[in-house]
Amino acid sequence: MYVYDTFDHAFTRDRIREFSDQVARRLSGELTEDQFKPLRLMNGLYLQLHAYMLRIAVPYGVLSSRQMRKLAHIARTYDRDFGHFTTRQNLQFNWIRLADAPKILEELAEVEMHSLQTSGNCIRNTTTDQFAGAARDEHADPRPWAELIRQWSSNHPEFSFLPRKFKIAITGADRDRAAIRVHDIGLHIKPQGFDVYVGGGMGRTPSLGHCIRTGLPGEHLLSYLEAALRVYNRYGRRDNSFKARIKILVAALGPEEYKRQVEEEWARMDRARVDAPQAEIDRLKTFFPDPTFNTAAFDEAAFERARTADAAFARWIRNNTHPHKRDDHVSVTISLKPTGLPPGDASSAQMDLMADVADDYAYGELRVTHEQNIVLPHVAKNDLYALYTRLDAVNLSTANAGKITDMITCPGLDYCSLANARSIPLSQEISQRFEDANLTDRIGDLQIKISGCINACGHHHVGHIGILGVDKQGIEFYQILLGGRADEKAALGQITGKGLPAEAVPAAIERVVQLYLKLRTHDNERFIDTLERVGRDAFAEALHEPA
Amino acid sequence: MKLLTANRLHDGLTVWYSGAGWVEDGAQAAALADDVAETLLAEWKLRETEVVAPYLIPLTDRGAPVQREHVREFVRANGPTIGQTADALSKAFNRADIFEN
Repeated sequence: MYVYDTFDHAFTRDRIREFSDQVARRLSGELTEDQFKPLRLMNGLYLQLHAYMLRIAVPYGVLSSRQMRKLAHIARTYDRDFGHFTTRQNLQFNWIRLADAPKILEELAEVEMHSLQTSGNCIRNTTTDQFAGAARDEHADPRPWAELIRQWSSNHPEFSFLPRKFKIAITGADRDRAAIRVHDIGLHIKPQGFDVYVGGGMGRTPSLGHCIRTGLPGEHLLSYLEAALRVYNRYGRRDNSFKARIKILVAALGPEEYKRQVEEEWARMDRARVDAPQAEIDRLKTFFPDPTFNTAAFDEAAFERARTADAAFARWIRNNTHPHKRDDHVSVTISLKPTGLPPGDASSAQMDLMADVADDYAYGELRVTHEQNIVLPHVAKNDLYALYTRLDAVNLSTANAGKITDMITCPGLDYCSLANARSIPLSQEISQRFEDANLTDRIGDLQIKISGCINACGHHHVGHIGILGVDKQGIEFYQILLGGRADEKAALGQITGKGLPAEAVPAAIERVVQLYLKLRTHDNERFIDTLERVGRDAFAEALHEPA
Repeated sequence: MKLLTANRLHDGLTVWYSGAGWVEDGAQAAALADDVAETLLAEWKLRETEVVAPYLIPLTDRGAPVQREHVREFVRANGPTIGQTADALSKAFNRADIFEN
């Protein structure tokens, strides 16, 4: 993984010193809250419903075991013993004291982490495929490119005060696991170069990104991104924050005109001043080497004995492992979605255990997924049963990756000051309703995504079933969307039926699922495939209690 | 009647004006006459070294927040409702939830 150089160390040290002084001046009253708020937000510190929340950047979701242990230590020492992994592949602590924030940043800097650009109208953490560098279906490893974007966008003087926040996602596989079409800019690495999508996003005006460039050579990636952002920075609306994202500008100009302006800007700019020299790109690639793989022969007989003897292990293998580029390894998803508990949360003990098993079985590397789980990208098949056993001891062996209970859920009104309705209690109830492992497996791949307000942090627009919390005269109501998907066939879900009160939602989801099981033509026809075959209307009636 | 609430500057925790000062337990909040509440709010908005973002919660005749803000204020006064390691405030203060419907 990327290792800080002297510039990174000096930059984060300077920022911590600066922020420590700002916090001291705020506590003494020298700075007003109006003066201080933009300064704390630039360091990822929000004031939420119950306390300060600190959002920590996990660049493109890659964590070392040492970093995970530090996060566990911070949870134990400065928070209430847990952290919350987010859809931006970051981590949030929900109960931070203002006076502790500088100390926490110092602790993070010890392991080459920070909280910069996790808030504010700047370029946020670039997200990518959680199986990057490991997946069998990958054309190119997106991590060096994500790192290049991180270095280019960190404290970029031209793009530190954009009209609104700006999110980039990148994938290097055929299968899009990074939801690139619902990002401000989505990048798809193909053998002939980068496909560049602009103007995707969720929120109150959901939109799929438009492809404005194919086959962009990697050595021109930064200048092309700079041109695309420059057009947005120049013409994006600043009078209305609801209309300030790039998707609004792309829709207003039309994708063709946006593309024309980007190309014009790109043609006249001094690209050589922006683009990274090939030598630098090559140097970055050396920071993401394969680990020294354990090449001991796979003991298939022992593996099969364990699988036959332990049905829960067999199920976990079936659902939570992903094909690796090496036949003797797999990638493992550690689900943070146990039945009835808040999705994406991990206690300090669980974080420590994940760091330990990463050291023992996964070459010390972990990934945070945008689906709010943790991945061990490289695990030898010989180690799977030992790994499973240790995860199982701390309630980290839930075998539901990609299944109906593996829900993306925003913090909702239990924590967020912007939310209109609670999200997590709903996901808890749905997970309890579908607790039966046999039923969940029979249902197969089905993605439910829940947001507590129109800002769509829970990605409800691209859930096969999306759930959106709204405030209806002081009562929590939920709109159901059907047909969204975030993969390479990205689509936006459509509101279906009337809004439902919270207590009616789990049963409504169950009726929809039961109808799907009746309608599907064979066991391998996924929910989304059935839905696309028969249409949303077939499911609308099922959402409501029969009269 | 209204309640005066805010977040405490140094740790961000939700606090309530009790009549004598700021307390963490919403059950101790003073129900203030509207004019008194407005005066106190104006005063505390200027005293930023103790609390942040003070505001008033209008109450119904039954002493609960008005319907429009009910759920938000219920969660704020009683803590997250999701049973994680952050204990509900009702447990911390050994009381029943407040602002129940």
